[in-house]
Amino acid sequence: MDTKWNSTGPDEGLEQFVAGEVREALKGAEDAPGVVKLRVPGKTAGKLRAAAGLLALVLGVSLVLGSLGQTAGRLAGGADSSSFGPGWWSTDWQETPSFRREMAQRLQAFLSMATGSDLDWWGTASGDTYILSGDGDTWYTWGSMDTATEDITAEDGAAPDADYAADQNLLYQVIGPENELLYSNVPAGAEITSGRELPEGYNFHLVFRHGEVQIRKDGEPVDVYGDGFYTEDALWDVPGYENFTAGEDVAGVTVYMAVRQEPVPYVQLSTDGGARFYNGLYDTYQYIREMQGFYVLRAVLCVLGIACLAVARLLRTDRRRAEARLAALTRRVPGEVWWLAAILALLTMVFSMDPYTGCSPFELWYYGWMDSSLTDVLRLLALLPANTAALLVLVWVLWLRHITRKNTEPDQRWSLLRALSVRARKYPFQRRLSRWNRLALVLICLPAAFWLLVLTRILGISAYDALFWFTFLPLLLSAVVLCWILRKNAALARDIGLLADQVTAIRDGDLETPLDLPADADLRQTAEQLNDIQAGLHRALAEQTRSERMKVELISNVSHDLKTPLTSVLSYAELLRQEPLEGAAADYARIIDEKAHRLAVMVQDVFEVSKAASGQLPVQPERLDFAKLLRQTLADLEGPISKSGLTFRVDLPEAPVMITADGRRLYRVFQNLIDNALKYALEGSRVYLTLKVADGRAEASLRNTSREELPDGVDLTARFVRGDASRTDGGSGLGLSIASSFTEACGGAFRVETLADLFTAVVSFPLSEEA
Amino acid sequence: MNECILVVDDDPEIVGAIAITLEREGYRVLRAYNGMEALDLALDPAVRLILIDVMMPKLDGLSALLRIREKRNLPVIVLSAKSEDTDKILGLSMGADDYVTKPFNPQELAARVRSQLRRYTLLGDVHAEARQGLLVNGRLTYDPGRRELRADGETVKLTATETKIVDLLMRNPGRIFPAEEIYRRVWDGEAAYACENTVMVHIRRIREKIELNPREPDYIKVVWGIGYKMEQHGT
Repeated sequence: MDTKWNSTGPDEGLEQFVAGEVREALKGAEDAPGVVKLRVPGKTAGKLRAAAGLLALVLGVSLVLGSLGQTAGRLAGGADSSSFGPGWWSTDWQETPSFRREMAQRLQAFLSMATGSDLDWWGTASGDTYILSGDGDTWYTWGSMDTATEDITAEDGAAPDADYAADQNLLYQVIGPENELLYSNVPAGAEITSGRELPEGYNFHLVFRHGEVQIRKDGEPVDVYGDGFYTEDALWDVPGYENFTAGEDVAGVTVYMAVRQEPVPYVQLSTDGGARFYNGLYDTYQYIREMQGFYVLRAVLCVLGIACLAVARLLRTDRRRAEARLAALTRRVPGEVWWLAAILALLTMVFSMDPYTGCSPFELWYYGWMDSSLTDVLRLLALLPANTAALLVLVWVLWLRHITRKNTEPDQRWSLLRALSVRARKYPFQRRLSRWNRLALVLICLPAAFWLLVLTRILGISAYDALFWFTFLPLLLSAVVLCWILRKNAALARDIGLLADQVTAIRDGDLETPLDLPADADLRQTAEQLNDIQAGLHRALAEQTRSERMKVELISNVSHDLKTPLTSVLSYAELLRQEPLEGAAADYARIIDEKAHRLAVMVQDVFEVSKAASGQLPVQPERLDFAKLLRQTLADLEGPISKSGLTFRVDLPEAPVMITADGRRLYRVFQNLIDNALKYALEGSRVYLTLKVADGRAEASLRNTSREELPDGVDLTARFVRGDASRTDGGSGLGLSIASSFTEACGGAFRVETLADLFTAVVSFPLSEEA
Repeated sequence: MNECILVVDDDPEIVGAIAITLEREGYRVLRAYNGMEALDLALDPAVRLILIDVMMPKLDGLSALLRIREKRNLPVIVLSAKSEDTDKILGLSMGADDYVTKPFNPQELAARVRSQLRRYTLLGDVHAEARQGLLVNGRLTYDPGRRELRADGETVKLTATETKIVDLLMRNPGRIFPAEEIYRRVWDGEAAYACENTVMVHIRRIREKIELNPREPDYIKVVWGIGYKMEQHGT
């Protein structure tokens, strides 16, 4: 059991330990107050701190979990359970419980040999009193493990102490009740009867005489019995206590034992050419050293780990940046990989042999080596983290997943399943459905086939057995039913697919081909309803197209029919004005002429607005300078503006403000807006024209104070709506409507805001990219 | 002069009004009320110019125009209620020399008739002038050597500044000049903030001297948001 301790642990632990120490020193230098810090630019220092924080976290968690896990595993493994007790960590191996136990067992073995019977320590216990005495049965040697259960008498009559004799780490002399020398391995010339003068290298001396034990260490007597009462906590499991005495047969025996201070390995070459090792005591010595080293090193590593964690905590703000950087990398790892790695790590922990029991936790559980008592369940669980590598993989995989999820949005992460389903969505519906059907078939048929195989091959049930048919027939029936359902599903999948395709076709504009499903199809009714919708849509669209076309034709015709008489009216009004007219007649002729001109303007405006409203206004977009257009418009309208008595406050950027629009239409927009302002602004007031660029848009606004009260809640851009109710002024009522519809035809946005008497028209366009 | 003009429109009142206006200008007027009549009358060698409406019964104006063009080479002005650019371009590409939208100003119409007739009679001279290194653009002829602009053969009186602008534009027909460039090249100064206004004022004055309808100019046009240009016309 205790042959494996050197195989794992200390070496890698040491490596971690050294690495940890170095990091520690580095960080200490950086963080300690008063220490002159390296002057690094802030950014680099931040990066360094972030990396250090991350490293400290990784080291700290690894060290703490690794050391705790190994400790828990070794404790749960139970190999050391009897090695703990007073002095277990002592540097002098002769002070440890393991040594004391070994001495007691050797003494017991010698006494057994001397009395010729198997001495059962507890066999003769009566009440609280224990007596060490033989029961006359065959006896066994004690001591080294490999011969522990071997009947020495069966070994060609070799001396019972043959195995002990070679181990010169313990010299012994066993003297029988008749004062005869029974067993000894003391070399010639050496003497071990006196505790004060031992051979060179030996410092521990034990004498069993008259049923009592006397021990001298380095010549000094050792207090063996304490207060003289044997309890379970007693240091020495040897007879001589008041309530633990040697029986008659044992008390007559005298045993001398001397033990080396530092055991050495002894090797004896055997006659068959092999080498035999008689190192029971040396093994014990090695085991004590190893065990002490193991626990002390784990404790040190754990403390170091805690120190690292403290550093990581100090640097946590910087560390989080490093975590975010890390997450930027790990988010490319499909989410399933984390789960897979975690499950693999967990399985490794459950199924891999742990070094302390030589079995995997699963085997321990499966073979019932541990029962289901709470202690055993806890021990079993404690054995899991003994596989430190798997434990750390598990912990770090979960941690990486955690920081990835913490630092990224769900859509930034990568998932194989999601990628697959996204890919699958590319396929037409029916193909996906039939795929699922096939998958279902495989998933159901495979286990069924497997079950049949188990039935016939492994359980050995043949086709002549009634049980076979009992099992096989329902299975066959299920298979038939399954095939029928899948066939039905396939037909349904085809129909659903056709339906989906039809919906797509309608979406893409096919309004003429109806979907014809078989009359017995489940989706027949749905398909017919869809056909109705399609036909309705077709009718509605045709209707709309016709009415659109009629509208445009109507606009053209009405416009033409209006313009023809208007031409006559205008021409004759002009001619009339050229006639010599008397008094009032001249005025009438002038009025007719003026109104006819206004009518002409209105007809043209109506025509254009109607075209714009029905989306028929032709536009020629080009890149132009919005500010320049506004300056040109102002210059163009300079005459009317200067005559109006209004003051124009103009704020236009000097730099070009490039937009894409039809310049002539946009000119009409501002011509109408300025006309509007000239017509409706309060006399002598100021009109503000500004152009601002913000958020990738150029926004021109024209503000003026209205002469009349502005009506509330009226859409001024609606056709024929005007700010004042009277219609006696010169406007057609179409100015804002033209401005609005032309702006939108050019791809801009137009809005009007009224606040008390303040009227604001805003025309905005997206800035044009460099051509 | 008594030059004979054929006026075609299905609306007799319009024909009448045009006839009165033109007769007051001293022209002789032939009247037709549909495309077929127009075809007959157009063969009269006395007819020097045709004014023709587009939308007419029997034969529409553009088809009549095509047929007339097969027989005779004389200026044709198309009258139409259709005011879209596409309609104008269609009319001009079918062989019309000018395109006037209804309702029109009788005075402007008379001016256009006059202009077309003058150009027609001057046509031979125009070719000769072009050979002599004169810049010819539709109604306009510019002599860069003498810095003289003629519209329909008549010299236009321009101020020095106006002449510089005309010189720049006539030498580069079709090219768009931003106001700043015109200002820099004409006034020889750095472009001031208000140059747009200054340039526009001068351009408006030039238009009044050379355009038949200064409010809807055919020659010096504003390219909104970009600059100004001299529209290029055929001879």
